[in-house]
Amino acid sequence: MRRFGTSSHGVNGKQLKQMPGFIAKHKKLLSIFSLFILLFWLVTIQVKNGRFTFMERPVLAISGFFERIISWPFNTVASIAKGYVLLVGTQKENQRLRTENEQLLLEKAVMNELQLENERLRDALDFKRFYPPDEVMAQVIGKESSPASSTVTLNKGADHGIRKDMAVITSQGVVGKVNTVLPGTSKVILLTDPGCTLAVRVMRNREEGLLEGKLVNCALKYVSYYADIQVGDLLITSGLDGIYPKGLAVARVVSVSKHEARAFQTVLAEPAVHFSRLEEALVLIK
Amino acid sequence: MKSYVYFIILLLIIPVQASLLAPLSLGGIKPDLALALLYVIGLLTGPMEAALAGMAIGLVQDIGSASFIGFSGLTRGLIGFAAGLLGRRVLDLTSRSNIIFMVSFSLLEGIVIAFFLQMFYGSFPFLNLAMSRLLPRALYTGVLGAVLLKLVVRKDVLSVLVRRDIQKEL
Repeated sequence: MRRFGTSSHGVNGKQLKQMPGFIAKHKKLLSIFSLFILLFWLVTIQVKNGRFTFMERPVLAISGFFERIISWPFNTVASIAKGYVLLVGTQKENQRLRTENEQLLLEKAVMNELQLENERLRDALDFKRFYPPDEVMAQVIGKESSPASSTVTLNKGADHGIRKDMAVITSQGVVGKVNTVLPGTSKVILLTDPGCTLAVRVMRNREEGLLEGKLVNCALKYVSYYADIQVGDLLITSGLDGIYPKGLAVARVVSVSKHEARAFQTVLAEPAVHFSRLEEALVLIK
Repeated sequence: MKSYVYFIILLLIIPVQASLLAPLSLGGIKPDLALALLYVIGLLTGPMEAALAGMAIGLVQDIGSASFIGFSGLTRGLIGFAAGLLGRRVLDLTSRSNIIFMVSFSLLEGIVIAFFLQMFYGSFPFLNLAMSRLLPRALYTGVLGAVLLKLVVRKDVLSVLVRRDIQKEL
């Protein structure tokens, strides 16, 4: 009777006996190798089923606690320095703000008039009224902790009414959306994060597309070859994703390239908000 | 390395990287402290321990960020392993080539990440990413790594960080 695993497989009894010895000798190396395979498998599963949120809350709780402690002296020094700098140019700044205030009051009066008119017309057409959302001002206490994603940590969380998937903005435009929330801390994924997508529209011609994060900037996807997109175009939220209110500035187109063989254009856009200078942000409470 | 050193690293790596290094940011670019630390761990301990340390640090960073869990664990584990091999066979703590290797590892990791992201999310502005983010960060990480190595070669620091058997080897 032929023994299992002999010459037909190129492995003889002696080699089989040596196998446990080989495993014992390279036990550590093999376990490390298996761990690498396990991690790779873990990543591929997430590509199919979405990112795991395993252990996310305890890690955010611990890191958030230390981030508050670490950022406190920096923020205090920065605010004192800023206060001093502001004090130096107060008179000039005051004059400039007065002028600006006059202009804004004038604009506000016109806007009030337009709003009233808009509401009257909406009522006449039986359209849904637009109510501006409430907002919570939060301070950025941590930025970008991993090379493969773009996130920031805010010093406010569920205790202040913040929930997952709420929009985060500044006066310049959209920052991103809330990803994880704890009582006193929340993690926000920025527009440039590869996992962040939002529905946008070109302000100039209302052309629609989907903006996706590409770490340093964003790409406008599914824009037809024939669509009129130009460098410098401002992209605004379309409101179709149900997260961001309509009309907020998102990004500005920095490059457009077309290829006859492709149905879609390649459009790159730079976020309207400079994330490196981000200190505070508004979370829109739905 | 002593086990409490690993505990402190795992506990503080995210807050230090996200908050303490924020004031050092130049044009939005921050050095990668975790990678520099991992390289030093590799030189001090060897490939197996450094690979495990890299996986653990990477996993903590993945959980604390928005990337796929295991993604940085994988790349950082490989970096730890490679740094460990370098430490055993080629380099010592004082060699100037360490900075070149650190920059190369950071750059290589960035390229691998961009490649993976391209696989998962479609086309990536690769050249733009390399020139505006990967290369500056790699160079900055090299500078931070050089400072770290200068600190670590001091005997008093080394005795706090490393077990006695490894100290004798070094």
